[in-house]
Amino acid sequence: MSQDECKPPDLNVTAASTGDAAAAAPRTATSSSWPGTGGTLTTRTLLTYLFVLAGATLAVLLLCSLFGQVSIWTEGVWELRLKRLANAALVGAALSSAGMALQGMLRNPLAEPYILGVSSGAGIGVMLSFVVAGMLHVGNFLSWLSMPVLAMAGALATSAAVYAIAQRRGRLDPYVLLLSGVIVNAFNGAIMLTLYLILPEKQIANFATWAMGYISESTGPGLFIFALLAVLTGWGGLLMRGASFNMLGLGDDVAASGGVHVHYLRAETFVLVSLMTAAAVALSGPIGFVGLIVPHICRSIVGPDHRRLALVCGFAGAMLVMIGDTICNTITPWIGVGILPVGILMALSGGPFFIYLLRKRRARVEA
Amino acid sequence: MTAIPDSKAPTATHVLEARELAFEYRPGRPVLRGVSFAAAAGRLMCVLGPNGSGKTTLLRCLLGQLKPAAGQLLLDGRDVGRYSPRGLARLLGYVPQFPQSAFAFTVQELVLMGRFAHTGVMGLATEQDLAITRLAMQMTGCQEFADRTMEELSGGEAQCVMIARALAQQPALMLLDEPTSHLDMKNQLMIYKMMTRLAHDWQMAVLCVSHDINVAAQHADELMLMRNGQVLAHGKPQDVIRKDTLEELYGVQIELIDSGREVPLVVAR
Repeated sequence: MSQDECKPPDLNVTAASTGDAAAAAPRTATSSSWPGTGGTLTTRTLLTYLFVLAGATLAVLLLCSLFGQVSIWTEGVWELRLKRLANAALVGAALSSAGMALQGMLRNPLAEPYILGVSSGAGIGVMLSFVVAGMLHVGNFLSWLSMPVLAMAGALATSAAVYAIAQRRGRLDPYVLLLSGVIVNAFNGAIMLTLYLILPEKQIANFATWAMGYISESTGPGLFIFALLAVLTGWGGLLMRGASFNMLGLGDDVAASGGVHVHYLRAETFVLVSLMTAAAVALSGPIGFVGLIVPHICRSIVGPDHRRLALVCGFAGAMLVMIGDTICNTITPWIGVGILPVGILMALSGGPFFIYLLRKRRARVEA
Repeated sequence: MTAIPDSKAPTATHVLEARELAFEYRPGRPVLRGVSFAAAAGRLMCVLGPNGSGKTTLLRCLLGQLKPAAGQLLLDGRDVGRYSPRGLARLLGYVPQFPQSAFAFTVQELVLMGRFAHTGVMGLATEQDLAITRLAMQMTGCQEFADRTMEELSGGEAQCVMIARALAQQPALMLLDEPTSHLDMKNQLMIYKMMTRLAHDWQMAVLCVSHDINVAAQHADELMLMRNGQVLAHGKPQDVIRKDTLEELYGVQIELIDSGREVPLVVAR
């Protein structure tokens, strides 16, 4: 990488030389010294990120495939494990970049598909597909077709509902938004319980493992391909909107006056987020907090630019869920349960993280 | 001073022209009625009026956020509603009342965002974009704190950043919404001097909605007074600042004090 990429363009007057008291104040998230975070973003920087992170993700995939309950030299184990890890990577990439997009679009660091109810909406769709599959006795074909479609419909309907509840004349209050997420989540939970009651008996075990956020190795090829396409479409779309998310941070009016089609961007983002969340939920069930934790960690490392963040979040999320899933699978024999779903691990670590963020944010507002 | 090279120089004499503009949120309750005015390049025009006089609504119409119920609003000879967001951004720069930045971008990155409408979809900057950003920061004095974030700036500095960002759009018309309402006297003066320079040295049409009648009257080339959604008076400050007009405008007793300059000072009783 050439030197001039890292240095800010020709701005010789630094804050320190002004002798101002404020200049001595500690720099916030921008003080990172990662390559390409200081200067102006170029295509080359982005491509470097892309290749380095793709390589790292692949390395993590291979490394994780070595660990598990059974030796990898057992017949067929490695293939199954790679399949599961690929699912985990898709889930992680989808949830993290969806979380990043929601946080950027809503200017709210607490936004996330799980907390805003998008995941539970997709969950209703998945449950409906269990019901459909159980009732029609058609077998796998219709179930993998109906699952993504219904999950997508559920996610979209829930996004639309949360947005409609929280917005007032096109403006969103961050706390009202979180509250509407809570309400919609509770509402969706009730629908899910109702569906559970009418669920055919042979589907109940399927549902139970799915609802805990378990990544399975026995995904049908149809569902995997749908998820892959959904994640690539969504991720690519969000990456292209990075500059617009950056502008939204200046407020809707300023972003619009600067050339961002704000309403269109919101609608587009909700559709892409729903698509990715639906894919993730269909693959693994509702896994919470990945979309919250990963964007935060990434932002603190590479800075606030959403073009960089979209790229980094996707890969980082993929790595986190792969590692988390491998840990769950490896430690399972020692804690004496059949399977420990990765969703439980994420919720156990993500809940406290959410509270930490909430308190930090409130402290800043009150200060 | 070298002006920022305009990507699209306005062809009409008047950058902005409003003809018999009307707007209503609810039928039968007009907020704007028959508003006609023109903003020319090289002139600073301040819009004054009491709360609820329609200033903000007018501004939102100019930004293309509200669609006028009747009349025409022409920007560079073309109806504002017919521009795409990007097309509008290349002609019109906007500075909000309260600067905000939800993400921890540096000042330089924020000003560079003004180039959004001129760059590709990813918003990656070219050498020219960087040069224009630099000029915009020099013009507003932002280069001194180019590496700081908005949280580390004073109110006056933050407003300079917002002006620099709008300037980087290379607009023909600059729109400011009460940019000094939360600033102290020194910063107020600094912003007004900056607006005067934008109009006179950079040949932009500058339109500023304001409440500081005295500062506006001292600096503006034109004042437009609005009341009940109509234009009460429009002209040079010395012609518009009159006791009877202002008493009608604000509905209070007004006293004019000779300031030794062309325009007297306004004091409410």
